[in-house]
Amino acid sequence: MISWNSLPEAKQRAILRQVEKPARYTGGEWQACDKREVFFRLPEKDRIRFAFCFPDLYEIGMSNLALQILYAALNKDEHTWCERFFEPASDMREQLTRENIALSSIESGTPLNAFDIVGMSISYELAYTTVLDMLHLGKIPLRSVDRGEQDPLVVAGGPVACNLEPMAPFFDLIMIGDGEELLSSVTALYRAKKQNHWTKRDFLLTACQLEGIYVPAFYDVTYHPDGTIDTIEPNVPQAPRVIQKSIINDLNRAEMPLTPIVPNLNVVHDRMVMEIFRGCARGCRFCQAGFIYRPMRERSLENLSEAARTLFQQTGCDELGLLSLSTTDYSLLSELLEKLIPCAEKYHVNLSLPSLRLDAFERDMAEQVATTRRAGLTFAPEAGTQRLRDVINKNIVEEDLLQATDVALRNGWERIKLYFMLGLPTETDDDVDGIGSMVNRLITCWRNIPDQLRTRRFFINVSTSIFIPKPFTPFQWAAQISPDVMRERQQRVAAALRPNRRVNYQWHQFESSVLEAVFSRGDRRLADVIEKAWMQGCVLDAWHEHFRWDIWEPLLSEIPGGIHFYTRERSLHEQFPWDHIQIGVHRAFLEHEWQRAMKGKTTPACFEQCSHCGARAFGGGVCFEPPRTSSQKDIWT
Amino acid sequence: MDVSDLQQNRVLFHYARTGSTIWLAHLDMVRLFSRAMNRAAWPLYWSEGAYNPRPDIVFGLPAGCGIELERDPVEVGLATSPDEGSFDLEEAVLRLNAALPESVQVTEANYTESGGKSLMARVCAARYRIEAPGVSSAYRKTFTGAPVTVEHVRKKRTTSVELMSKIMDADVVYDDVLRITCGAGSVNHLRINLLLKALIRDGGLSPEVAAGARLIREAVFMGTV
Ligand code: SF4
Repeated sequence: MISWNSLPEAKQRAILRQVEKPARYTGGEWQACDKREVFFRLPEKDRIRFAFCFPDLYEIGMSNLALQILYAALNKDEHTWCERFFEPASDMREQLTRENIALSSIESGTPLNAFDIVGMSISYELAYTTVLDMLHLGKIPLRSVDRGEQDPLVVAGGPVACNLEPMAPFFDLIMIGDGEELLSSVTALYRAKKQNHWTKRDFLLTACQLEGIYVPAFYDVTYHPDGTIDTIEPNVPQAPRVIQKSIINDLNRAEMPLTPIVPNLNVVHDRMVMEIFRGCARGCRFCQAGFIYRPMRERSLENLSEAARTLFQQTGCDELGLLSLSTTDYSLLSELLEKLIPCAEKYHVNLSLPSLRLDAFERDMAEQVATTRRAGLTFAPEAGTQRLRDVINKNIVEEDLLQATDVALRNGWERIKLYFMLGLPTETDDDVDGIGSMVNRLITCWRNIPDQLRTRRFFINVSTSIFIPKPFTPFQWAAQISPDVMRERQQRVAAALRPNRRVNYQWHQFESSVLEAVFSRGDRRLADVIEKAWMQGCVLDAWHEHFRWDIWEPLLSEIPGGIHFYTRERSLHEQFPWDHIQIGVHRAFLEHEWQRAMKGKTTPACFEQCSHCGARAFGGGVCFEPPRTSSQKDIWT
Repeated sequence: MDVSDLQQNRVLFHYARTGSTIWLAHLDMVRLFSRAMNRAAWPLYWSEGAYNPRPDIVFGLPAGCGIELERDPVEVGLATSPDEGSFDLEEAVLRLNAALPESVQVTEANYTESGGKSLMARVCAARYRIEAPGVSSAYRKTFTGAPVTVEHVRKKRTTSVELMSKIMDADVVYDDVLRITCGAGSVNHLRINLLLKALIRDGGLSPEVAAGARLIREAVFMGTV
């Protein structure tokens, strides 16, 4: 096995000249961390080499805020050098395999298996085979039991960590919750392991006692004859029965990457990013992020405005994204914009506010925000009728959308993008037809604006995705609709929208939604299927061109109960594969919400009224703030 | 502000690039410079435009992917004349170099006249150094004085390109180092990959050696060579 940094330069050049976008692999970006000079002066036992792996292409990984946050947090420590790894695109993968070159780090070209800790940051279930591929390309045995003392410790984190059971055998340790401080505790403990010559098992026995650390091998799972889970029990006394997520209560204390890596390539989200708050106060019942990151915690105005100025100066980028799950819920948004806009103008920076909710989309904000890019505006009504929006707790009324559209169209916007979900619990044909009716009313709204005030190029993009029941949401008990129904509903929407030349309808292949649904509520028995699929060539499953349903479908059909076992509605008494993880929101609360959903009853946002979900126990965030009296409700994201 | 002030609003600088940044494509280089100049607080002139104002940065030649550069020209427009603000060019270059990755550095900078032909149109030739075992012998075998024509495929269209007439000078003293001066820019531009293609086909250079060759653009010439 050869490492990239040991190749002669001519060989490196010959390989890079044969691949598309070689800069994906060569690094050297502004503010990338190169510690070569100082790090290796430390004694070996005092230094931790951390491989931050993002199981997707460079352009996707480098758009990920978690990467920047954790990279900064880890590299702040003089004892740790965190370097990056991404899945190579197929042309590069072919070169590496043919020449027997190990997957190597962007910063120094060091092979993956030479690192102490390999950390996989997993944002979506469809990255699972890519995780295996990266381990394989990095010459690391896939399964935890097959790795020896000399192999790196393989850990995982990210939103899917709250149920990584399908990948349990591949990881030594899983981190649950906010990663910044947790990762530092893990690297510190690993240093103690190196200094004291502990075995890996000794290390894991200590690590599993830290909050937020889950060692899958320390838990045994037994099953009922029907395939559902009977028990999940720790098999060592050190492992807690329930693993509590790790949380940073005061977000102002959390690492904010003020000197982020500035990619040289045009990555997917090529901009600076500032997280204005974490968690969400809304409680849309399908949204996993809305529950697992509870409670909502804001960064202070001072913290953000200072950070923005530093980011402008340190990166030179021309766009700043204010990131959160629902930007207009930031309690001091107008004040923040008031502070940011003059500074942004001075530095020629555009502000972008993804996840904007529409009732707050008043005229002055429309003018403030969109000084430059007015091409597209995105709304996510999610469902076509008020009835269904109440079921999913999307607390909005259509009037808001119409009014916001009117404001946007009068302020120079030309394109509106609408997101809907198909297959939500209780959905009927009427709800599906509601999508078409809503679109028609938007077009009427445009027609009603006087000619001289409206754009001629008005266009609506409608996009639907398939509902996927997720752990730790009130819909964790819900079924996913069958592929036949998916197809039928997509066709129904298409038929309703087709006659209108101002509308474009996009939908996704539903097979990948089936796979995602299987994994998201999956258990450990799926690990074999994932490994087999990878062995048969599945990788980068989230990419349309790489997705191989022809491989997945037969493999999933072989498991007892087939695909249906994982996509079916779950009984209220069923034990979930993730029941030993405590994310903060109680199962009883989720069950209560599930029942309210079935009755079409909505639940207020946290800042209007607390619904006692359980997250207050963490002792911070919105749970301890006085209810808001402003008009910030009834909104669209 | 009189005319002489305005003329001082344009800066022509040369830069070198080595290491990992040689793998950037031209547009990536443009972005890299525009960001570095923002970081270095260069008062760049931004074109007016409702949707996407752009900084006034012009490269003499596109920085081809995989090519090291020793002295490539770039011209930028500044929003203030030096008399107005505190823009000290020498100091500004130091600032810019500190704001650039180590593998990209500005080597010299001067005020230049505005008006007239654009930088791109002024570029007429470039000198390259190609380092690869046997490259000079391959060159001697290929370029004997007669025309050398290769196929150039671009956007699914194939055209025939004659190379000999684009080469002005060649230094083949060392067998592993070929130095050529050739046409560059809008007229008579020689593509180095086409040259390598000819060296493989007619000069017996192996494709592997050609792929691994070190390509360095030593200089870019403006006006007349
Ligand atoms: S405890 Fe109340 S305020 Fe806190 S997150 Fe839960 S519902 Fe919201």
